[in-house]
Amino acid sequence: MSDIKEISPTNLMLFGIIGGLIGIYISPYFPTAGALGAICAVIWGAEAVRRVAKYGLGTGVPSIGQIALGMGVIAAMFGLAIVKPLPIAGPIVALITASVIGFVIGWFAQHVIKMKIPVMIRCMTEIAAAGALIIIGYSAAVGGNYDFVRNLIPRVFDTGVMLAVFWVGAMAMLHPFNACLGPDEKQKRLLYLAGSTGAITMVIMGVAALMTLGVSGVITLALGIILWVIFYKKFWDEVYSDAASVVGTGLIPKTEA
Amino acid sequence: MVLDLTMSMAILALMGALATIAGCIEDLESDVGSQSNPNSQVQLAPQMNFLHRIYNKAISGEPISNGLSAVTGGVVTTVLLNARFYPLMAIVIGALIAAVIYGIFATTSYAGRVASQARFKQPLYMDIMRYTTPSIIGHNFIVCFCLVAIAYIQYVILGYPFTIPFLALIWGISVGAIGSSVGDVHYGGEREFQNREFGCGLNTALSGRIVRKAESGLRTSLDNVWFCAKFGGPATGIGLGLTVFFSSWPTTIWGYTWTAMLVGVIILAVMTIMNRLVEIQVKNAYGPYKEDKEEKGAVAVAHTH
Repeated sequence: MSDIKEISPTNLMLFGIIGGLIGIYISPYFPTAGALGAICAVIWGAEAVRRVAKYGLGTGVPSIGQIALGMGVIAAMFGLAIVKPLPIAGPIVALITASVIGFVIGWFAQHVIKMKIPVMIRCMTEIAAAGALIIIGYSAAVGGNYDFVRNLIPRVFDTGVMLAVFWVGAMAMLHPFNACLGPDEKQKRLLYLAGSTGAITMVIMGVAALMTLGVSGVITLALGIILWVIFYKKFWDEVYSDAASVVGTGLIPKTEA
Repeated sequence: MVLDLTMSMAILALMGALATIAGCIEDLESDVGSQSNPNSQVQLAPQMNFLHRIYNKAISGEPISNGLSAVTGGVVTTVLLNARFYPLMAIVIGALIAAVIYGIFATTSYAGRVASQARFKQPLYMDIMRYTTPSIIGHNFIVCFCLVAIAYIQYVILGYPFTIPFLALIWGISVGAIGSSVGDVHYGGEREFQNREFGCGLNTALSGRIVRKAESGLRTSLDNVWFCAKFGGPATGIGLGLTVFFSSWPTTIWGYTWTAMLVGVIILAVMTIMNRLVEIQVKNAYGPYKEDKEEKGAVAVAHTH
């Protein structure tokens, strides 16, 4: 509904990029920040998925989430691995690589497959970039740093936690729109849900970080649970105000059919 | 770990049994929440003025949602094993945490989807939420336990070079894919449209007109599980169990040799021929799709103009 004020996509994009990068760059000193940054990227990504999937991609929503993290993981590994002498440039190179991959795939979808979705190119670029930040952010929370060779390979890849980052991260991004699909879908409710799914992913990363980092894993886990409770509660508040009616039990209301 | 043939066969049988249970319960779990194929009609029903009391569990498709729970269980189990927990305990705790997270995803999709259908006056029934979600969690716990156990056996006993989360994820995707392709066939059309002729196909006019009343009272998702437990679930279980058994059996007997490869190819060929025979038999028995009288009339009218 257009009469409800929504946060503009550009603001959310800035929130995702800046929040995500700050979190990732603080992660060597405070690994939990990586997961917090990734939550910013999840919220941004969920909004981008929402805009592109609104064009009637019913069953396509999960696919969009998966392709986002697929593009993201390639870009993240490439970006972090290619800048060996200057690891600090890694996340930014990954972000740019992801944007390029997303742009190319969006361009193909729009002009070769001719999907005729006006926001396709922009949204594909955005979700790929968000995917890369999600991958790096959560990995940094488990690895303790975004250094590819010294931290991520032994702590995130060799232990198999990468699969959880990839799969649960994708779910965090695609689930909000998929779960709110319908004609009365509202941005506010979706963003709270994105925060909730992002926090659940953070909890799982916290459990994994117990193994790799010890104490800072406890902080990630505890903070993740607190954030989840807050966002989940907010989501339910929105559900109570948005739903036609919330009843304890009852018969089906009479309709014309 | 090197095992003798008897022990290898025992391990294989155990894996087959675990996979059979996982497959069966996975299909039933997807039916508790009307996931996957049947979900589209549950989602559509309120739009057609057919309000209902069926759980709308839209955690994406079955492969992705089961991959989510399996990989979560795998990660938690890995962490606990690393902390020197007893394996069975580690797998149980891992599966429990994964199932609870899965349940959280389920609640958000039911609440979110119903809230997004406000204009059709679909109410959000909290009793449905309260007694269907634990059923989803319970089913998913069993699935996740079996899958992580298979991953553990493969990693620790059979010495696969992949990690437990990786193997668990692959099994999660497999069980979802098999549940979706084998199990749904025995639910989607049949239970939601059981007041129509069997196998009549779903034409556009029937969209969303699902059966909403049970033998006694209003139908809920739990009634659907009861229906699916008779055939869809077991069929899925056999599907996944056979997949695990036949994919591991040749290498267990003959090791990683060309003979095992050849036996694998022969199994594949026999199954392809059997599938074709079943298909031919079904086509002979039921024939091509018969048009309705109305449809024929419409076609005839179209031709005369």
